[in-house]
Amino acid sequence: MPNLAPLKIGIVCPYGWDTPGGVQNHVRDLAEYLIAQGHDVSVLAPAIDEDALPPYVVSAGKPIAIPYNGAVARILFGPIAFARVRSWISQGDFDLLHLHEPAIPSLSLLACWAAEGPMVGTFHAAAKRQKAIFAIGPILEPVIEKLSVRIAVSEAARLTLTEHLETDAIVIPNGIYAEKFRNGIAQPQWSGETIGFIGRFEEPRKGLSILLEALPIVSRFVPNVRILVAGPGDSDATLKTIDPQLRSRISFLGRLTDEEKANFLSSVSLYVAPNTGGESFGIILAEAMASGAPCLASDIPAFSSLLGDGDFGALFASEDSADLARVMIDLLRDGPKRSALSIAGQEHAKFFDWDTVAEQIFSVYEMAIVGSQKVGLASDNRNWSRLLNREGDNS
Amino acid sequence: MKAGLIFGIVLLLSLWYLSFSATRLDRLHHRVETSWANLDGLLQRRAAIALELAHSDYSDPASSLLLTAAAYQARDASIRDRSFAESGLSGALTLLQSDLSTATNPAEMALLRELSELTAKIRVAIAIHVDAVSSTRLVRAKLIFKLFRLAGTAPLPMTYDFEDDAL
Repeated sequence: MPNLAPLKIGIVCPYGWDTPGGVQNHVRDLAEYLIAQGHDVSVLAPAIDEDALPPYVVSAGKPIAIPYNGAVARILFGPIAFARVRSWISQGDFDLLHLHEPAIPSLSLLACWAAEGPMVGTFHAAAKRQKAIFAIGPILEPVIEKLSVRIAVSEAARLTLTEHLETDAIVIPNGIYAEKFRNGIAQPQWSGETIGFIGRFEEPRKGLSILLEALPIVSRFVPNVRILVAGPGDSDATLKTIDPQLRSRISFLGRLTDEEKANFLSSVSLYVAPNTGGESFGIILAEAMASGAPCLASDIPAFSSLLGDGDFGALFASEDSADLARVMIDLLRDGPKRSALSIAGQEHAKFFDWDTVAEQIFSVYEMAIVGSQKVGLASDNRNWSRLLNREGDNS
Repeated sequence: MKAGLIFGIVLLLSLWYLSFSATRLDRLHHRVETSWANLDGLLQRRAAIALELAHSDYSDPASSLLLTAAAYQARDASIRDRSFAESGLSGALTLLQSDLSTATNPAEMALLRELSELTAKIRVAIAIHVDAVSSTRLVRAKLIFKLFRLAGTAPLPMTYDFEDDAL
């Protein structure tokens, strides 16, 4: 990254900082990377526990949990939040704002409404064509078009954007600290003919049930196969749904630390991502590739583009446990094929390293800043304000 | 009385909406100008590098001639012919780059590296500019913007159809 004059960058995260999630992780990693490069970064996010925040995060208040787009979103809006966003912008004296998910009714949208000047927006979500989003399109349009540059984290997210809001975006993938995963150490208790799965396994869209349905067939052909499930959730409830004879083949490891995750991914024979949809990027697959685990994923758009249509990891027909079993048996019995996938995947994962990704994001920042002043509060009715003799600052 | 009140409110609301729309369009025009300034700067830098490459020892007289001509054309082109001229320069650079892949001289290697970094940036800058232009044109095509001439005297932004694959 070219170390030019340090910038003052404001990043807005729409989801509660305390709850784990892809967007939050992305914002955290990006902010920490930029700070390490010598930039001055302030993150505005909703937070429940204001004392536990890192020094660069400013709380905008407690998030509200609302069902949105098929999941519970912890977001924040309302007049008090809006006032806080405005004071954060006016006091921040930022060179640039980076808004995450500005199409979600939360802080980023409020910031986009309130601010004027160089703004970059990153769109994470990928959704199917929905009437609801078409209906809110005209409301969002004048707000979203204030962004100087739009970034989509994947081709799927970009398509969602072009379909719903008729605007294009540049694709810059999510980042991972590839080195951390490359240096994972294989652990004997997780090695052998093991299948890895990481995620909130109780959520149906994560697809654990499809993997478990494939297990009886796989175990007939690969006698020592074991499934290792990592991630938060109630394992007893899930175990009850499984054939008692197969229960010994499944272990629940609970939530892993980052270091354990790297070791886990370096140990397993095969990493399987059977997600049935709602996935826009698939950061866990990028991490699995970086650690050298051969990957097998459902052929939903995000995953097939991440895995290069099968070049960097195998694919199976989504929601089809028979097809999953077929590919799994094929791979578990074919060592050379697995190591070929592992090598190809590890090479491909370099594209998602923060060093590469942050450089791309930073070059977008530079382009957004060219010829503009600093970020200030918007006067959405300059002419109107002039008419009323208020010089356009309407504060 | 009541009808007058309603009429007044509607009038006020429409005035507010018109003013809001004018601000919106103004902002879009600003975005077009910014993204063009950005793209223009990058293209100028590319032309400078092309000239430097043309004068380096490595390029033979023929490609040197071609590059110099293309670079000058790109620099002098009016905004209307710009994308055509820049595509020409892209073509000349691609030709030379496939030749220069054997470059060993550190100065030339540095030039080539700079060129490839610049090319990546230009791609992004084009995408940004095209997006700004097309959303501005879309908004300006709306009836209300035409009817009330909210664009004022601002010229309609030019679409810039740079051949992406020519880069």
